[in-house]
Amino acid sequence: MTIRGLALHNFRKSFRNYFSMILSLAFTVMILFDFVNLIYSETFQALGERNKEYIDIIIRVISFVLVCFLFFFVWYASNVFLTRRKKEIGIFIFMGLTNKKIGRLYALETIFTGAAALLFGLCSGVVTTWLFQMILLRLSEISIEISFRFALQPVLITALLYTAVYAVFVWKGYRNLVKSSVLEMISAARQHEYMAEGGLFLLIKAALGICILANGYVLAIRETGGNVMGNLFLATVLVIVGTYLLFGGFLPLLFGRLSRCKQFLYRKERTLWVNNIVFRMRKNYRTYAMTCVLLTCSVTAIAAAFAEKGQYDNIVNFRNHYTYQIISDRPDLEEELTDVIEQDNEIAYHGCLAFFGMDGSHFSGGYKRGILAFSDVKKLAEDTGLAFPYENLADDELIDLDYIKLMSFLPGEKEKTVEIDGKAFHQIDSTTTPYLGYLQESHDYYIVSDKTYDELLETCGQGEAFEQQTYTYQYKIADGGNFEAGREKLNGLTYNAEDSYVGLVAVNPESEEIGWIKVEYSLCVFVFLVFVLASGSILFMKIYNDAFEEKERYGVLKKIGISTKSLGRSVAGELFASYAMPFLLMALSSWFSVHALENLMSKNLKMVNLVSVLIIFVIFAGFYLLSVLLYRKNAGIE
Amino acid sequence: MSGKKVVEIRNMTKDYGAKGFRTRVLKGIDLTIYEGDFIAIMGPSGSGKTTLLNILSSIDRPSQGFVTLDGKNISNISNQELSQIRRDKIGFVFQDYNLLDTMTLQDNIALPLSLNGVSGKICLEKVQKLAETFGLTRHLDKYPYQLSGGQKQRGAVCRALITGPEILFADEPTGALDSKAGKDLLECFRTVNETGQAAILMVTHDAFCASYAGDVYFLNDGKMRCRISRGNDRKEFYDRIMEVQASMGGASENGGEGA
Repeated sequence: MTIRGLALHNFRKSFRNYFSMILSLAFTVMILFDFVNLIYSETFQALGERNKEYIDIIIRVISFVLVCFLFFFVWYASNVFLTRRKKEIGIFIFMGLTNKKIGRLYALETIFTGAAALLFGLCSGVVTTWLFQMILLRLSEISIEISFRFALQPVLITALLYTAVYAVFVWKGYRNLVKSSVLEMISAARQHEYMAEGGLFLLIKAALGICILANGYVLAIRETGGNVMGNLFLATVLVIVGTYLLFGGFLPLLFGRLSRCKQFLYRKERTLWVNNIVFRMRKNYRTYAMTCVLLTCSVTAIAAAFAEKGQYDNIVNFRNHYTYQIISDRPDLEEELTDVIEQDNEIAYHGCLAFFGMDGSHFSGGYKRGILAFSDVKKLAEDTGLAFPYENLADDELIDLDYIKLMSFLPGEKEKTVEIDGKAFHQIDSTTTPYLGYLQESHDYYIVSDKTYDELLETCGQGEAFEQQTYTYQYKIADGGNFEAGREKLNGLTYNAEDSYVGLVAVNPESEEIGWIKVEYSLCVFVFLVFVLASGSILFMKIYNDAFEEKERYGVLKKIGISTKSLGRSVAGELFASYAMPFLLMALSSWFSVHALENLMSKNLKMVNLVSVLIIFVIFAGFYLLSVLLYRKNAGIE
Repeated sequence: MSGKKVVEIRNMTKDYGAKGFRTRVLKGIDLTIYEGDFIAIMGPSGSGKTTLLNILSSIDRPSQGFVTLDGKNISNISNQELSQIRRDKIGFVFQDYNLLDTMTLQDNIALPLSLNGVSGKICLEKVQKLAETFGLTRHLDKYPYQLSGGQKQRGAVCRALITGPEILFADEPTGALDSKAGKDLLECFRTVNETGQAAILMVTHDAFCASYAGDVYFLNDGKMRCRISRGNDRKEFYDRIMEVQASMGGASENGGEGA
């Protein structure tokens, strides 16, 4: 039999052994294909028309992340596979095969596996791409007719990317086998299983892990003013390192201690599964840590997406509070403007307000600001249906008028002392209520008492145009679809003369200026699901392969009379711990990472955190049940 | 023989292979094991020793005939009941120890009791007592890979005895041990037997090992050819075993019957 024939024979005979790897790789190929296909689809072209450059950047970033993920996933899968195969095909060395031939045998088997995964992945990708695009658009709240069109280019690109990554690891495995000694091959499957580290080493690792992780958590949620990004980056690094140390030090130490506490250990199947976990921990802790980090990233990503979507909705509401805003130095325009707008549109509400500007030299911060009178804003709020929760304002108090930002790296302070021309004012609140709508995004404003307003106007409001009193007339029309008609007429009223001016700010309610956020949000949801499923697949694949190694051990247990029921319970306990450990640490870590995001984006994300953790729980429960079922079969318990 | 019957097999046969291509491995075996018995079964390779042991110990089922254990016919009971019987009434010692490398010797010994739901405290007491008897107290915290073959096999005996079984089945228990460790193990078996802890049925092809038993049965070509019993002198018993073995070997080679 030729090497090729032998490889094909091995592949056919041990398809069950390859099953988990093929399934996991096919899943990765399917996701990649869905993504690449999206770029070449009509859907994407339709999306691109809206915010081309942003969506393009997002898709490229996510594609890069997916290719990186593919790289690491194939690396991991091929390593697991190599260890298993090394022992099995190592036997051929006794039949006179050289290392080179064994390497070729492995490479061919791996190529068959990879080709099967590629084929399954592409087929399932073609089947699911329509569903994927439908879900994506549904999540993005974008209505585009999806037409199914098969294109060869995405298939070729996916196959090329996957093959390039896969080939690297086939070559790596081949080199590994060519350089392996006979002994290494035969004992490969049993290497590095026992926790050989001494108690002190584990204790140091555990203590370091807890300290580093705790530091990461504290850093993530501490309010540190300006250096938010630096802190978050450091927190991320600390949490990742801490997670690895915790799984490599604390958990083996904990389970080691539990296994020494016999009163705890000798409780039915606990004797078996706790010892199994201790025994396998050295080999498996990296997998647990990797899964935990991946899951935490997924939850953080989804929380960020929700926060941005929430901010997007808020910004849209903020900007659309008024349809037209007319700015002028003339206080007498209200009647005329109302008449003009009413020619084409019904007015939902409207209001007027005066303000004046003060340049940066008057403030400690150095930025110019607009000044509004308390009673004017109160009246405007009443006219335009906005909340105004302030009873009155003392002469030395003010309210900061801010706007909604997509992301803020500088945490805003509600209360502080502000100096205007050397006089101290107590800022009692900072609000993003759109009293001035879109205008609020161009300058910062302070609301002061009427008396203070008059005093400041007298001393400051006489200089350049910005510093003189300006009148704003805000209108909201009932039918946003008829926006253009009103805008054209109002545009006709605008002028900019030397002694007078009328300006217009018109906000189209149907504008998709920041619509890319919705696409980003839906892609984040998608990436979240991919990463969660990938994490589950990694654990599933590991457990699936472990089951074959445990077959002998379970055979012994059956021989000495341990019932299949007992063994089943032991497996259930062991696998439960395998899935629960990364899940629980992820739940804790994600609480801190989401908390950091809450600080960053001034948004309550606890529900998103809870729901995403629950989704992971459900997905992991599915993987767990499937693992238990297959483990029992593969380990020969049933 | 007197006392309570622990295991009894009557007219038992075992066939392997598909219909039309069946090979009869055991042909009408009758055997009764009483409380306090120490029996060795000898025979050449392929004589059916291990098959007989597997059936006696409920790992395999006979094709015909019946096996009773502690008065209960185990030939046709459910797998769950079989597991229960294996766990409570039978102890196993294998040639290759079959200790679990995932746990310490102490946990290995305590495992069957712990799985039976016995409290941790009682498990610990029983493990300590057995370890003392078998000289393993110092090694309880070690993993199997840290133990010598003899220590592992004695550990396996402790594990087999911890549930207080009625009978201990040993399959070539000294097969993987050097002569010193083998002798130590056989002394342990003798202690177990003489102190009435369990009846022992041992399959071996080693005459020295068999000479520790009270009775030796010779199996050849699927049939029980003869039985010899030990007197007071183990050396003399060993010589007789060797004689029978030599004659059986000749008979087997010549294809004849009987010794």
